[in-house]
Amino acid sequence: MNNDPQNVASPKTIEQVYRPITRRTFLKGAAASMVGVAGLMAALKPLLELESGSVTLDELLQRHYRELKPEDLQRILASLAARAEQEYGVRPNLRDVKPMAGVEFGYALNLSRCIGCRKCAHACLAENNQSRDDEDDIEMSYIRVLELNQGAINLETSTAYFDPETVPQPDKYYMPVQCQQCRESPCTKVCPVQATWQEADGIVVVDYNWCIGCRYCMAACPYDARRFNYKKPTLKPEQINPNQSYLSNRIRPKGVVEKCTFCLHRTREGKYPACLEVCPTGARVFGNLLDPNSEINYILNHKRVYILKEDVGTQPRFYYFFDK
Amino acid sequence: MAMAMCGLSGWLWLAGQSDHAPGHVTDNASVPVKLPVVARPPAQQPTVGLPADAHLDKTPPRATRGLDLVKAGWTYNCMECHQLFPARWHYGGTNRPLNEHKDIVLDHGNNRFCLNCHHPTNRNVFVDYDGAEIAQADVVKLCAKCHGTIYRDWQAGVHGRQNGYWQTELGPKTKLRCIQCHDPHSPKFKEMKPLPPLRYPARAANPPPAGQVEPPAHP
Repeated sequence: MNNDPQNVASPKTIEQVYRPITRRTFLKGAAASMVGVAGLMAALKPLLELESGSVTLDELLQRHYRELKPEDLQRILASLAARAEQEYGVRPNLRDVKPMAGVEFGYALNLSRCIGCRKCAHACLAENNQSRDDEDDIEMSYIRVLELNQGAINLETSTAYFDPETVPQPDKYYMPVQCQQCRESPCTKVCPVQATWQEADGIVVVDYNWCIGCRYCMAACPYDARRFNYKKPTLKPEQINPNQSYLSNRIRPKGVVEKCTFCLHRTREGKYPACLEVCPTGARVFGNLLDPNSEINYILNHKRVYILKEDVGTQPRFYYFFDK
Repeated sequence: MAMAMCGLSGWLWLAGQSDHAPGHVTDNASVPVKLPVVARPPAQQPTVGLPADAHLDKTPPRATRGLDLVKAGWTYNCMECHQLFPARWHYGGTNRPLNEHKDIVLDHGNNRFCLNCHHPTNRNVFVDYDGAEIAQADVVKLCAKCHGTIYRDWQAGVHGRQNGYWQTELGPKTKLRCIQCHDPHSPKFKEMKPLPPLRYPARAANPPPAGQVEPPAHP
């Protein structure tokens, strides 16, 4: 038995077995403990936010939008509406508008008619409850009006920041660009948490409560159609549009990505989107692609349409055309 | 009769000289007392869009001004004057015998003659190709005489702006008529001031002058 190698005393010294705390080992241990505590604090941060009231228990424990039971969704809507009232002074008519059966939305824009007045971009700000007065804000209208030189569709020489005395300028034409609601949408494919997806009527939406703000979708979008909330919106009570929907124009929190939804809180109730309502030259045409008698299908059947960046294969539901 | 015509002409001259600001109707001392009631107020247009959309500016591009006589308290019964003043086919610019309608300068392309659109004997209506009358309310049919393809697009709902509901089973849709957006005497849209560009980073706001290269953001 004494020859059993397992029972042979180790040749290590007692100092090697019971290592005293040297400076090196102490610092190692301290650093590891610090990392652990910091990680724990980070993990508990939502609880601190919960305590401070900036996040509600419903939101903290909320499931993904598409897994929500109707009663849970109603509770979350009520909680969001109550918080909007507390923070902005107006109780919104916040609801969840579902897609209509047999409807797929399409949009067409007449580039011969557009004069670059930017009324659509500013109506978008008002309709979608975006901050627009504070100097610190980066205005985030979902519509960017590009000014292009006549003779070619060259986006590289276009500018979104034109500000002449009058429009249209004689040698320019104008192209408003917003979300194209692609059938093969790159933005929904790159989202690591599936916070953005296509609805049954073709609208690409974002669950603002699920978005983690990584902005992969913004990098993936070939049309620069998504916007990031760098700060909490600043809105006066009179600036708030109370007609709100969970997936579209409710007041978004800081740190999430948002985008054009063809005003689904309007269009899913049968109304025209806000940008079309204000267009002074009637350059915009909106309708149901599945209805053969719709206005959008009249355009597709009778006009020669142009698809922006057709070569990237996104198959947009947004069409441009030139027609007097 | 001659006295009446002189009086009317004098009144027209005065009315032509007066300030045509809207609302400047009642203080015009030369307005006769027994004017007929204005059949249709000059600024009255069908409402555009839904009442709930008050936060959206839906103004059509044409500022509805109304004729100067109407603003001075006259009516839309054009024949009250025009049965006295016979029709002329063409006035060169502002070269008009009276002060009336001097604000109308016809700039409608090749369409240079008043009576192409206005009825030669009944000035309250418009005229069709065969001399038939087109009522004021049917002005779309007048424009369709020449702009047939655009009329077809307008009927399909893709020319001009529509407001309200795209799904007409759910609510009303308002459709603007030709002259609500286009001034028929000068139909091309006037240039307008664009709304300000969206706020953007300072470097984009102050691009370098032409020919100079912008310094790199990250040296």
